[in-house]
Amino acid sequence: MKTVKALVLTGYGLNCDYETDFSLKLAGADSERIHINELISGPKDSGRVSLDNYHILVLGGGFSWADDHGAGVIMAAKLRYNIGEEIEEFIREGKLIIGICNGFQALVNLGLLPGFDGDYHSRKVALTYNDSGNFIDTWVKLNVKEDTECIFTKGISTLELPVRHGEGKFYAKKEIIDRLIKKNQVVMQYADNEGHPAQGKWPFNPNGSLYDIAGICDTTGRIFGVMPHPEAYNHYTNHPEWVIKKEKLARMGKTIEKEEGEGIAIFRNAVNYIRENL
Amino acid sequence: MPVRLEIRLNPELIDAEGMSISRKASAYFGLNVADTRVIRVLTIDADLKDDQLERIRTEIFTNPVTEESSFLPLADNFDWIIWVGLRPGVRDPAGSTAVEAIEDLLGLKFNQDESVYTSKIYQIRGELGKKDAETIAKEILANDIIQQWRVYKRPARSGLAMAGEDEWDDKDGIGMNVSRVALNKKPQVGTFPIKSDDELKRLSTERSLALHESDIPVIREYFLKKEVLLKRKALGLDLPTDVELEYISQARSDHCNHNTFRGLFRYHDIATNYKETVDNPFKTCIEDPTLKIKEKKDWVISVLWDNAGVGRFDEKNYYVITGETHNSPSNMEAYGGAITGIVGIYRDPLGTGKGSKLILGTYGFCVGPRDYDGELKPHLHPRRLLDGIIEGVKDGGNKSGIPTSFGQVLFDPSYMGKCLVFVTALGLMPATVDGKSAHLKKTNPGDLIIMCGGRVGKDGIHGVTAASESYSETTPAGHVQIGDPYTQKKMHDFLLEARDEGLIEFITDNGGGGLSSSIGESARWSNGCHVNLEKVPLKYEGLDPWEIWVSESQERMTVAVRPDNISRFMELSKRHAVESTVIGQYNDSGYLHLTFNEKTCAYIQMDLLKSSFPQWEFDAEWIPPSFRGLKEPVWGEPEDQGRLLTSILRRPNICAKSWIQRQYDHEVQGGSVIKPLTGKEQDMVSDAAVVRPILDSPRGIAITQVINPFYALIDTYHMTAVTIDEAVRRLIVVGGDPSCIGGVDNFCWPTIIHDPAKNPDGNYKAAQLVRACWALRDYTLAFEIPLLSGKDSMYTDGELKGPFGMSQKISGLPTLQFTATTVVTDIRKCVTMELKVPGDLVYILGKTGDELGASEYYQMMDWIGLNVPKVEAENVIPLYQALYQAIQDGLVASCHAVGRGGLGVHIALSAIGGSLGMDIDLSSVPAEEKISNTRLLYSESAGRFIVTIDPKNKKTFEDIMDGLDYACIGRVTEAHILQVSGIDGKIIIKEKIGDLKDAWKEPFGDLI
Repeated sequence: MKTVKALVLTGYGLNCDYETDFSLKLAGADSERIHINELISGPKDSGRVSLDNYHILVLGGGFSWADDHGAGVIMAAKLRYNIGEEIEEFIREGKLIIGICNGFQALVNLGLLPGFDGDYHSRKVALTYNDSGNFIDTWVKLNVKEDTECIFTKGISTLELPVRHGEGKFYAKKEIIDRLIKKNQVVMQYADNEGHPAQGKWPFNPNGSLYDIAGICDTTGRIFGVMPHPEAYNHYTNHPEWVIKKEKLARMGKTIEKEEGEGIAIFRNAVNYIRENL
Repeated sequence: MPVRLEIRLNPELIDAEGMSISRKASAYFGLNVADTRVIRVLTIDADLKDDQLERIRTEIFTNPVTEESSFLPLADNFDWIIWVGLRPGVRDPAGSTAVEAIEDLLGLKFNQDESVYTSKIYQIRGELGKKDAETIAKEILANDIIQQWRVYKRPARSGLAMAGEDEWDDKDGIGMNVSRVALNKKPQVGTFPIKSDDELKRLSTERSLALHESDIPVIREYFLKKEVLLKRKALGLDLPTDVELEYISQARSDHCNHNTFRGLFRYHDIATNYKETVDNPFKTCIEDPTLKIKEKKDWVISVLWDNAGVGRFDEKNYYVITGETHNSPSNMEAYGGAITGIVGIYRDPLGTGKGSKLILGTYGFCVGPRDYDGELKPHLHPRRLLDGIIEGVKDGGNKSGIPTSFGQVLFDPSYMGKCLVFVTALGLMPATVDGKSAHLKKTNPGDLIIMCGGRVGKDGIHGVTAASESYSETTPAGHVQIGDPYTQKKMHDFLLEARDEGLIEFITDNGGGGLSSSIGESARWSNGCHVNLEKVPLKYEGLDPWEIWVSESQERMTVAVRPDNISRFMELSKRHAVESTVIGQYNDSGYLHLTFNEKTCAYIQMDLLKSSFPQWEFDAEWIPPSFRGLKEPVWGEPEDQGRLLTSILRRPNICAKSWIQRQYDHEVQGGSVIKPLTGKEQDMVSDAAVVRPILDSPRGIAITQVINPFYALIDTYHMTAVTIDEAVRRLIVVGGDPSCIGGVDNFCWPTIIHDPAKNPDGNYKAAQLVRACWALRDYTLAFEIPLLSGKDSMYTDGELKGPFGMSQKISGLPTLQFTATTVVTDIRKCVTMELKVPGDLVYILGKTGDELGASEYYQMMDWIGLNVPKVEAENVIPLYQALYQAIQDGLVASCHAVGRGGLGVHIALSAIGGSLGMDIDLSSVPAEEKISNTRLLYSESAGRFIVTIDPKNKKTFEDIMDGLDYACIGRVTEAHILQVSGIDGKIIIKEKIGDLKDAWKEPFGDLI
């Protein structure tokens, strides 16, 4: 089978690199943790790590550059002004990029999202302070839209994942939100216990995101940004109610079948896509 | 010509920082702030063209979706403007980041004189006077040590040619604040004649050295020795220098040396006239039992010498644990103290063995009542203090990328003298690195001394010695600092990579005592060192050598690297953008030798600190509880048991505090198994946390903590016993293995040094300490728990202004936080405390006695009582083993350790957690004798569990429990009602689960 190479960025205060790398490996990728400086220092032919050798680029969670000048702002500037061309080449080749939490914040600051009409430069959407004014760690229920181009969410209709952020409110002008909806770029929405859109209601929508947006993709579906953390649901014991579920199954003489957590599906979709298409 | 770029959020967006400032101004100072908005300022002092500046503005620093910006002042619609910037010379990491981003964007390099400075403008609306604005600036916004501030008011009339002195000028705004440093001082070394003991004593007070009286002659004698004098003369030294005295005082401080715990206690029970001389409780009650247990338990890898203890996690990995307190700094400046505490404790595992990856953190806060409205005037009101502590641990933990998986908060007025902030860290290291044992390390002559991470400033000077004193108005503020998790996270990632390449010979952190401690202690292996203090990178110029040596500036590690590895080490350091500097070399000279610009400023024999400093001595006078007038109350049975239960559930030390847990990232690293919050609605408190640190292994590690200071009001021996017992039970209920529990003891004790005027009950407090140590010895031996780590923080007293302006001494309750940790062999067998399925049988394991002394119930009724809970280890251990077996066999649906509040509270919590009802029959509860309903419900007897099981497992479960204290006391019900019938069969409680939950959640329910 084709080797699918994934690159997980580390360094400068990023912090979900180990579990993201682990999740990609579970999904079948040959994943590596690479320090940002290994990727951006020097010209491409100087022996530094090159994106050419990878299929999936992951900008994970954390506090890159201490969130100085805004969450994800400096990471975006560093990538744009050092390897901007290389990233666009990466996209042109049909490869995949996922930004999770801080990585999502970086993607919108890079302008890779929403990527209207192939414009990968303009900042059109933002992730700003939670309406509560505070950091929150909580599991959320997500509705995944099935009619999007998003490669990462194929076959997934609902998902539960943890959010952990102080700046996760998805914000944009009304016409931008409308355009995202129209173009099927809204991939994930926060939902209430019944699976309906949360309609801004706390704590189902934990940050006040407009239109309950938790994740969006670009128009190709190959670039995906998401605030909740799929890599934090890598095993069934990550789920907050797994013990309750296990006990109820036991009464029916059953056990939890799959060791793997449901967040891995996101990464497996990416790996499968590369296998089938590149 | 510098320019100033101002950036702010669009007005329609929530300004979280501004919001929090308005809230604090109102809550802490009763100020009427309508609105606060923040403007970020970048003062760019570089030769750039207009089009370049415009690109910087739009392409990097302004988010076009959420922000607006200008090179002219933005402030509008305000009553007051407060500007806060860094003091000249203070490092500005955000400024440096801005420079990098600008250089990347424009493809140029700033020259040496060019820079970017960051600061903030707060525009405030509200009916405030100048004093009020200044209060906000001083108390909420600026940290005086590193920051400066200015206040401007709205101009009285607009359109005037000249603005008034402190009036806002909307053309110039804050002006150009280029924080270039003006050097006004040359570093100097001071010397002191110390002709007499009195003189040294005076010097100790003047310089806050906190030298103990009995150490003074020993120190003087050393400097008078003939051979010492000769050697010093050869290096151009004569009188003792400030560097030397500071070094000795740091090393001899109680904080570093445990002089109290290593003291000699003359114990005397005044009731029985029993006398015993207790020589060195540290040795007899901590060290000896732990070493004895280590003999038996081969999972105990390394204890009692390193920054943290080491236990085996699996064949290939060890876990590392330690706990600390950061009381004094947090009491002064809550946010700074707490963030420094949590970030600081994370350096301990990093500095254990050849270095460990951080995998988990926990917190414990003991503070005054959040709604305190009495007459005592603590430095910070408990509410403000708690807010700051919570926020400090939040930023420190979350930004470190380490899950904060467990924690607790305890309210008691006695903590208004000094709050307690416990922080605990778990790390993981491979058993071997580069073919060598990773838990071993030493410095060798020739190894280079490297300081990594942050730079040195005046912050944190005398932290160690301040922690060795009570709080008073004169406590030096300089010892408070602000931790920087970002710098440390980079260093953490770097050092682990260096470790894995085998580049590290020795590593230790710079915490209390700074370089003085880290180098002073690490040089004991090689037996000497030479440090060039001028090479130490500084945050700003002008520090005296002694300040460089003892500064506790954070985020620094001291590392020993062999000269042939140094270039690779530095290469990795550069890749990770971490500053590392060679500042000296280890040798075997037998001397600690410090120079500054080639001039010797300290030259001390390595073995001076091993020489015979006299042991501290204490009289310990025990007055048994009944001799202190304590007795059981004479009360009848309450008629309204339902209301009694809801009242207890509402108590601050019982009620829900999920607003705190939710602010802490407990999911990062992807291995959460049992989270701090559990239950159907994920708002119930877990007994313990379990994480899976190695993601492809089903093995887990469980951790829990217990603080039970109220029993100390009766007897600290039983307080300690109950605390340890509860920790053991909390591990077992989640599925932890009771055969490999490790402990961490964190003592926080009021001063035990007797002084007829200042500490009249010092001898009693000393006896309380002795008794706690005895219990620690007895119960760690009984449960076979080695103390992997521990710390003592004495002096938890404070002098506060009280009624009529008089000062009052407040001593904190004698407090022990006991942390217990163990391995979970298969996380898939873990159990949580909430009820699971209607129809399940409810069991109580363990006996309930008439033990309400110092219980939550008595406390609510303002009573102490006499019958303190006691632990009969030999009786309970078989029960614990049986329960562990039942959990491993998959027989247990839910399991909960009964703790504070007794059966009544914990049955209710199990039901609330599961959103299910319960039908309970008190007459079946295993009890020592016929005791009343109220006693059954609220006695806090140790050794008990609430267990629910599937009825079909009844026989198997009961077979395992055969011969032990257990009984089936009822059933889980579908109806959301807790129904309890009393010993005579009458229903005494019938409460809706929803109502119980509302009561439990109500006190802090509106906090986020």
